[in-house]
Amino acid sequence: MTNRRDFLKMSAVAGLAAHPLFSIAQSNDLVLACPTAMSGTFSAIGKYSDMGMRLAVEQQGTVLGKKLAYRMIDTEAKPATAVRRVQEAMQQHNIRFFTGALLSAESLAMSKEIHRAGGILLTNGGADELTGTECNRSTFRWALPTYSIIQGSARPLAELMPKAKRWYTITPQYVFGEDLLKNAKALFKEKGIEHVGNSYHSLTEREFSGHLTNAIASKADVLFLLNYGAQASDALRQAVSFGLKQRMTIIVAAASGLEQFEGLGADICDGVYFGAVYWHTIDTAFNKKFVSDVREKFKISPNYSLAAPYINTKMLIDAFNKAKSTDPKAVIEALEGMKFESLTGTEEIRKEDHQVLRDFYLIKGKAKAQMRDKDDYADIVDSSRFFLSPEAAGCKMA
Amino acid sequence: MNVYLLQLVNGVGLGMLYFVLAVGLSIIFGLLRFVNFSHGAFFLLGAYGCYHLVQMGMDFWLTLFFGPLIIGAFAWLVETFVFRKAYHLPHEMHILITVGLALVLQEAVIMYWGPLGHNVAPPDLLQGVVIWGDFIYPKYRLFVIGVGVALAVVLGAILEGTRLGAIVRAGSESTEMVSLLGLNIKRIFAMVFALGAATAALAGVLAAPIRGVDPFMGVEALGIAFVAVVVGGMGSFAGALAGGLLVGIVQSMMSTIWPPGANLMIYVAMALVLLLRPNGLLGRA
Repeated sequence: MTNRRDFLKMSAVAGLAAHPLFSIAQSNDLVLACPTAMSGTFSAIGKYSDMGMRLAVEQQGTVLGKKLAYRMIDTEAKPATAVRRVQEAMQQHNIRFFTGALLSAESLAMSKEIHRAGGILLTNGGADELTGTECNRSTFRWALPTYSIIQGSARPLAELMPKAKRWYTITPQYVFGEDLLKNAKALFKEKGIEHVGNSYHSLTEREFSGHLTNAIASKADVLFLLNYGAQASDALRQAVSFGLKQRMTIIVAAASGLEQFEGLGADICDGVYFGAVYWHTIDTAFNKKFVSDVREKFKISPNYSLAAPYINTKMLIDAFNKAKSTDPKAVIEALEGMKFESLTGTEEIRKEDHQVLRDFYLIKGKAKAQMRDKDDYADIVDSSRFFLSPEAAGCKMA
Repeated sequence: MNVYLLQLVNGVGLGMLYFVLAVGLSIIFGLLRFVNFSHGAFFLLGAYGCYHLVQMGMDFWLTLFFGPLIIGAFAWLVETFVFRKAYHLPHEMHILITVGLALVLQEAVIMYWGPLGHNVAPPDLLQGVVIWGDFIYPKYRLFVIGVGVALAVVLGAILEGTRLGAIVRAGSESTEMVSLLGLNIKRIFAMVFALGAATAALAGVLAAPIRGVDPFMGVEALGIAFVAVVVGGMGSFAGALAGGLLVGIVQSMMSTIWPPGANLMIYVAMALVLLLRPNGLLGRA
């Protein structure tokens, strides 16, 4: 049992340890932060992001003589919370480097705050504005804008199936969905595709039978799902139950990752096309090594939520080494125009808008009997690299 | 076939699922005057119970029986050891306790099964669709309509045609009078609460192959259940049926008329009903 004297001794030791004089070793650490949803509906993102950060930081160990460390920040998927927690990290812990934010609204909010305070954000938000009309010198993006997603998913499918001329879309009514729809309509026009109908739905929608009934009535050749995550999974699951796989081709514009396939199962995904920002069977030496490392450390195959913070962290580390400095201004200059070997091959950070130029993938779900291992849900059908020019994207870098 | 006719049929299908979800909430309020905000959590447990039992190798058909049975037994315990001590407290405390339980159960689901969703396949017999001209409808959803109708008939027969039903109806009028007649009102309360939770769990089992399972499905279900019950009339069995069908049909029809407002119009319909009939379609003053 702890007596009063032991308690006083422990208190004194703890007090000394907490004193700034004894925290010199800690202050020599270079701490990165990963602000992302760690609780609530999107908590799975946080779990995988943590793994990605941990792997990258542990593999590197030290940079420029400083011990590399990281801190997860729970944004609760709320922009206001994200901004407040980022402010706390900057003011109380002097953190300047942030990676991995995945949700568009919170990424946009954090981008402005981090830029104002002189930090750097490597984000994976989907909103076009991040490297478009609201671009800034502090924000870099490995994820892709909606133009690239539509061009990388619908264009190759339209070319694979030239006779499929009637497309029906189901779209979530928020910025990301609207941007996808706008780009899809432009592609339909270019390819002579008839857009036979669209069903908008709210962000809370989970019941898609009414929208699918509209799609059936339209006698479309292709059902193009522009929703994301759980909503895309629900829409696809219900579309399959309505027998739409037998009546039309189904394509999901942007799969959220391997975990989406695990949740849906092979039977539902079989024969369905998905756009993918990342897929673990990408045939590059860098990706093969990464997949092997993840499997060895975590006993899982990497998904997008794990890969994105990992590669963001690697980009930062490369920039620290290139700049030979951890001063944010020097690191920004090092990042601009940087070419590096990455998961999808040789990637480049475009100086004018800070968008990473890299491949997007069209993958096709396969039957359970054809899966080589438990994660082999889909084959890569096409990879392509489409980007608007910085001017067309609307970026005017200050 | 006209798209509106297709939507009407689809709306009836949705409405029957909403009825199964809402009827337990309505019965519990009718007898116990207890607003159960943990109703969605029993729906959640039913769905995950189905998923878990199927993963363990149990036939889906058996989960339709064992899922509600297990959740009903759990609800009996919850009523006996937790809620019973709160009946005499104000409604605010009922809300606090039931919302608290719902959050605990939701977090327990996340801790055990993880935050990601999972799929539950319909049984082989109900895979595929029924095609009749332009009419296409999943066999499984037709089955759900059938279960909803069967449940309505059985519950209607129990509540209107049996001694137990008479006691429940009498209890909803005056619990004191029923107690004075020498009936064990505590046991009746527990039984009705378990029955209400079991129907929520049945709705969860039925919903699992339609929308999969995820830890946050209970919150969404609770909203729909409350709308159906308020529209139909709090405490009314027939009102839950009418409310569920109305909500399902409005949601489905609006998917064609004004797709972005399909969810919103459910609540607009509720507001309209309350303006015209403050006690709901079939509620009593």
